[in-house]
Amino acid sequence: MDAAASRPAVVIDNGTGFTKMGFAGNVEPCFIIPTVVAVNDSFVNQSRSSSSKSSNWLAQHSAGVMADLDFFIGEEALIRSRSSGTYNLSYPIHHGQVENWDTMERFWQQCIFNYLRCDPEDHYFLLTESPLTAPENREYTGEIMFETFNVPGLYLAVQPVLALAAGYTTSKCEMTGVVVDVGDGATHVVPVADGYVIGSSIKSIPLSGKDVTLFVQQLMRERGEHVPPEDSLEVARKVKEMYCYTSSDIVKEYNKHDREPSKYIKHWRGIKPKTGATYSCDIGYERFLGPEIFFNPEIYSDDFTTPLPSVIDKCIQSAPIDTRRALYKNVVLSGGSTMFKDFNRRLQRDLKKIVDARILASDARLGGEGKTQPVEVNVVSHPIQRFAVWFGGSVLASTPEFYAACHTKAEYEEYGASICRTNPVFKGMY
Amino acid sequence: MILLQSPSRFILQVLLNRVQNIDKGVELDCHSVEFDDVRYHIQVIISFVMCALRLKSKKIGFCRPGMKFLCHVEVLFVLFHNHLFYTLCQYPQFMQLSMSLPTPPPETVFYGGLPFGAIEAIKATYGLIAQILDPPKDGYNLTMKLNLAKLPEDEEEEHALLVKVASLREVVLGAPLRVVLKHLASKTISPGIDELVALVHRPKESFFLLPEVDKVTIVFPMRFNDSTDTVLATSFLQEFVEARRTAGLNNAPPCFWSYSPPPELEGVPTQALSANAGFVTFVIYPRHVEGRKLDRTVWSLSTFHAYVSYHVKCSEGFMHTRMRRRVESLIQALDRAKPDSEGSNKTALSRSFKRLSVKDLRSSSNS
Ligand SMILES: Nc1ncnc2c1ncn2[C@@H]1O[C@H](COP(=O)(O)OP(=O)(O)O)[C@@H](O)[C@H]1O
Ligand SMILES: [Mg+2]
Repeated sequence: MDAAASRPAVVIDNGTGFTKMGFAGNVEPCFIIPTVVAVNDSFVNQSRSSSSKSSNWLAQHSAGVMADLDFFIGEEALIRSRSSGTYNLSYPIHHGQVENWDTMERFWQQCIFNYLRCDPEDHYFLLTESPLTAPENREYTGEIMFETFNVPGLYLAVQPVLALAAGYTTSKCEMTGVVVDVGDGATHVVPVADGYVIGSSIKSIPLSGKDVTLFVQQLMRERGEHVPPEDSLEVARKVKEMYCYTSSDIVKEYNKHDREPSKYIKHWRGIKPKTGATYSCDIGYERFLGPEIFFNPEIYSDDFTTPLPSVIDKCIQSAPIDTRRALYKNVVLSGGSTMFKDFNRRLQRDLKKIVDARILASDARLGGEGKTQPVEVNVVSHPIQRFAVWFGGSVLASTPEFYAACHTKAEYEEYGASICRTNPVFKGMY
Repeated sequence: MILLQSPSRFILQVLLNRVQNIDKGVELDCHSVEFDDVRYHIQVIISFVMCALRLKSKKIGFCRPGMKFLCHVEVLFVLFHNHLFYTLCQYPQFMQLSMSLPTPPPETVFYGGLPFGAIEAIKATYGLIAQILDPPKDGYNLTMKLNLAKLPEDEEEEHALLVKVASLREVVLGAPLRVVLKHLASKTISPGIDELVALVHRPKESFFLLPEVDKVTIVFPMRFNDSTDTVLATSFLQEFVEARRTAGLNNAPPCFWSYSPPPELEGVPTQALSANAGFVTFVIYPRHVEGRKLDRTVWSLSTFHAYVSYHVKCSEGFMHTRMRRRVESLIQALDRAKPDSEGSNKTALSRSFKRLSVKDLRSSSNS
């Protein structure tokens, strides 16, 4: 085996909102940073506008080179764009799909050289992709990884499968289950049987962490809280992450808040970015209304009104009949926006209700001729849920099978980027 | 980013996190690998100790679980027996930081598993907070036990020291270079140093120093694995040497590039002289290592290969960006030329630049 296989693999989970990166074998990613790049557009425009004339090639070239070096990623990007007008933010990933390959390539470059500080030629890489990624995108990723970074080996893993693998080590279960991945920009419900994604049954929901943030922001604005407008999205996100929870019943929850406001109403203190003056505001019903959009979407959106538990139920019902019981038994949560307190309990209860109602109805239809066995519904929650995908990648990439399953640089050179189209699954492991 | 920073982001983050949450006492065990095969392992093990305290009966009320005394020692529970209080205490403030270095080639000498002068440098830099464990953890060259309780009270000083801990690589791997350059600053030659010194900077690869009283000549044999990288690096280095000649850089160290080994390397075994991207020579004068410049010079020189390699990757990324743009514009031209029926829906498939051969490009630019 080559020397690179003796070093830990690099695992990078590029999410719409946040990128988790680190080394295989660790329990936590080394860095979790926003997936954003601040680019200096003044150079790019300059080189674009002069390219038509194709004169002054050298100036154009060096402008391009400067633009290529003058960029920042993650928190640094956000800070730069706030403090100076020369940088524009570019979010390379939208709804789980890479949209801008130029900025994506730069983002990876910084992740590897500046954050992890490793030499990409020294390590195998495990990257993740959303279950709906087109094979062409996979080729693009392969091209960048092999051509630009010269990685010795690459594995592109499907995010929900990794999330399932993460659960594998914490509770003894097989690689069959439904992964509910609620991230920042995309929510997917993905059934997996024996490590293979049942592609035709994947369901996506246009509601995710970002929508909860927007909803919290809207509720606070409507109540007239005095949050400076340039800060309000950031404050809403922090309020969401710190104070929101899942209620079991909204009406009861409203009553609780009204009866004991001192216990339920929280306060937020901040500093106005422009004047430096302090301000404070109250946090009330949005604490439980935010996460409620997954269970009663009509309070937030008119276009999409199917609650998450029903989507999960539909997803399982559309899967092959012999897998359904196993799927109901192992509903695994993953992604930052499943971190709300009691999210798993509420999901389990609502899903169980739907399932029980269906059994009752079918029993009634059959009219007492033998009862259907009750279906076990189990929503699994584990402590590393926030970066379950990354953790699953870390676990898989530290097994010896991983190195054999990787596409290698030699294969790439022989067959080209098309090798990345197919995704070998770890055979023999599960 | 044009130059690499000396502190490791990852170690610094772990340290800052620890210091902020010192009372939480969470165990930690993680590893990371940096360029040129420098590996780190960080471990925090929480140890429990039973202490017996004799307190006057009046003070019973003060000794409770959760109470802190003797800085960062936390009482977990209290037993009362014969006027003695037995308390279980927790010491979460020790952290073990281990580092392994690239394997040295035969021409480079390590002393006790570390480069020349490293132990002294560690002691001088970290003082009381670090204790070198002997032997180091299995598979590593150095293990230090950091006592976070001994960090300076002042926040800024504390931060500066943590940054230094995160810069362990510079302290250890840069130690021999620092010794030589320090002598240069005072215009002497360090005693006990050979004429030509080989210092490891990459696994099984060295660069060479030729110390003299008024200058130090440094030669880097440049090697790359990938053939494209080799070509790019060669032209990058030629440009680099050329750029040094421009007016603004008169004070920078003179540098040269040649395909064959420079005369300074006479007598070096041939296997250390196989370099597919040539040899870069820097001449460092006392003015380059005066006062605070020393640190920067040491770091820049010891990471020179990584710097070139990073720029090669940047150039490749830059070329890909341009190739992608070109392919996209050619495809647009193709699409416009095609009859409507078969056009648009194919674009996504053929956007990848690898899939268009030169012939396609030529025919499409003619159309
Ligand atoms: N403790 C928390 N409670 C609720 N939401 C959280 C919490 N931590 C992070 N989030 C939210 O989770 C989202 C990020 O989740 P993540 O799984 O990283 O998304 P992605 O993979 O799509 O980038 C963000 O919207 C963030 O605000
Ligand atoms: Mg995700």
